[in-house]
Amino acid sequence: MLISAVLQRWLEIPTTDPEDARRRKLLSILLLGLLGVVVVMLIGATVVIALTGVTGSELEIALLYGTGVVAIIGIIIIFLINRYYSGTIASIVFLLLFTLLAVFSDEPSQVIAGRSVFIFVIPTLMASVLLRPWTSFLFAGLSSLLSIGIALSINYVPNLPIILAFFIVALVSWLSARSLEQALRELRIVNYELDQRVAQRTKDLSEALWREQIESGRNQAILKSIADGVIVFDNQKRAIVANPSIAQLLGRSEAEILNSDIRTLMRDDVADADRDLADRALTGAELTKPGMKFRWGAKMLSVSFAAVRNPGGGIMGNVMVFRDFTREAELDRMKSTLLSMSSHELRTPLNAILGYSDMLLESVYGPLTPKQRGTVERMMANTKRMLGLINNLLDQAQIEAGRLTIHLAPFSPQDLLKEVESVASILATNKKLTFACEIEPEVPTTLVSDAQRLGQILLNLTGNAVKFTKQGSVSVRMYLADKTHWALAVKDTGMGIPRDAQSYIFEAFRQVDDPSTRDTMGSGLGLSIVKQLVHLLQGEIHLESEVGQGSTFTVVLPLAPVQEEAK
Amino acid sequence: MTGKLALIIEDDFDASTIFATALQVAGYETEVISTGDEAQVRLGEVVPDLILLDLHLPRVVGTELLAQVRADERLQETRIIVASADARMAEAVRADVDLILIKPATFSQVRDLGIRMMKSAVR
Repeated sequence: MLISAVLQRWLEIPTTDPEDARRRKLLSILLLGLLGVVVVMLIGATVVIALTGVTGSELEIALLYGTGVVAIIGIIIIFLINRYYSGTIASIVFLLLFTLLAVFSDEPSQVIAGRSVFIFVIPTLMASVLLRPWTSFLFAGLSSLLSIGIALSINYVPNLPIILAFFIVALVSWLSARSLEQALRELRIVNYELDQRVAQRTKDLSEALWREQIESGRNQAILKSIADGVIVFDNQKRAIVANPSIAQLLGRSEAEILNSDIRTLMRDDVADADRDLADRALTGAELTKPGMKFRWGAKMLSVSFAAVRNPGGGIMGNVMVFRDFTREAELDRMKSTLLSMSSHELRTPLNAILGYSDMLLESVYGPLTPKQRGTVERMMANTKRMLGLINNLLDQAQIEAGRLTIHLAPFSPQDLLKEVESVASILATNKKLTFACEIEPEVPTTLVSDAQRLGQILLNLTGNAVKFTKQGSVSVRMYLADKTHWALAVKDTGMGIPRDAQSYIFEAFRQVDDPSTRDTMGSGLGLSIVKQLVHLLQGEIHLESEVGQGSTFTVVLPLAPVQEEAK
Repeated sequence: MTGKLALIIEDDFDASTIFATALQVAGYETEVISTGDEAQVRLGEVVPDLILLDLHLPRVVGTELLAQVRADERLQETRIIVASADARMAEAVRADVDLILIKPATFSQVRDLGIRMMKSAVR
């Protein structure tokens, strides 16, 4: 291994031209082989001389060793030229020396026509691979000249067939070297293209891997840093993924959570009913339910479920996302406390003002002058308006907080309408409008709903009707809408509501923007609250109106509302 | 003085003033008591014709006071009006009282009520 590595290092020529590198490497190999041959020959000669005692003249022995050493030095010099300077020069020198050697390798007669003729062929062959293919002809020519020269010098006839043979060899080696080079070049091109392709593929692959790594790293980072607790359950309801947040939330390690099933996980800390619910949700039985809230130990958690699907669409399991809303729940509780407190605190002083004003109006402290009476009446009217606004705001806040409760109970429709009439008819009479209440005979004498809220709804609708009607009438009609519903219709002959406004009139804080209604403005909450109350009563409200033709608000309610458990 | 006595048990100064004035106009002598424990003491000393009771009272709650009045032999003839802003809470004691007044109650309302009570009084 080591030897081959060293050899490799010495034979490899550092050059950019692959052809040049190949030729020079070939020359190096040849030189190395030749060096080996020379060394072996010298050793062999020494051994033979020592063993057989063949004696020659001292000159002959000196010549033998001298030639050997010169050959070794020559080989090394050529090797170094080849390696560090130029392959072409090294090759030319080498081939010329080899040719020269061929001249003196044997007796002249043998060199031109005998056993050593073939030696001249060697440089020709080598030239075609060491230099350029066509250089074989140069060396064939050189060999021919030398052959002729030697023949003439010893008075022989130049050996023309041999010279012809030299050129034939040159031709053959030119052809073969050329096709070899051609083949190598093509191979190199193929290799190059292959390398390019492999490089491109490698690059693509590494980029894809890198992207994937980033992607999965990002997902991992999101999962790790997300504030919500995440657990993924497989189809056997065993936890297969848990993030640090859930571990922190539950006060357990991720390892503890992993592999445990939902029931084991919730044991001790969660009420049985909630545990069953969670278990069923994971089964997919209640996937329609988007989220649930329950107490887990000391914490209030909200949980949402979602099925985890594989790319084929099959369900692999479920992901549960837990959010700690202990603090929100506490805030919510504080908010409703504040709400009920402020509702009391705000209303009490206003009611006191109303009471005192009433006392003055009732002449408890002596009769009032007309101006005093007028003033006190304005005070009362404004206080009532403010009380109304506050009531609306608090109702709205309570509805938003989900705190406004409905108490379904049997009530008498007659009584309800009588109560509404007592208030609304005064308002209507003040504006010189006619007011009528009507109950169709098919309406049962007892209905089930929240009479207090119904009163609120009707007072609001009739109040609005009176407010926006300048002349004509306001009426309330109660009838059966169908077999399962009864209805309340509040009709007026007022200004009507434009079609585009009908879509937003039930939204909070929205009113028809009309300068002519400025003097009748309220909080813009009335209809929003009415709509929400109607929904809480499991009903619907509809509006029919044409500008200038008046409006009809119809509240449709179930005859048999579903009793929900009190919160 | 053979006037009829009305006890107004109500912790809010304004409300009690208005109620007292209204009942005075109706013809009652009135006495305002603002806490539950004071009311307990006073009810041991006098026999009022009418009690106007607020259910939200400091120290002794209205319902407790109501139960005591109803249990007291001396006070069998006493009429009781409960005033509360909480309609449901008031409904809960309907059986024990003569009338329920849902707050806010106006001066005129209380005065008219007082007049009716005065007229229908047996004594």
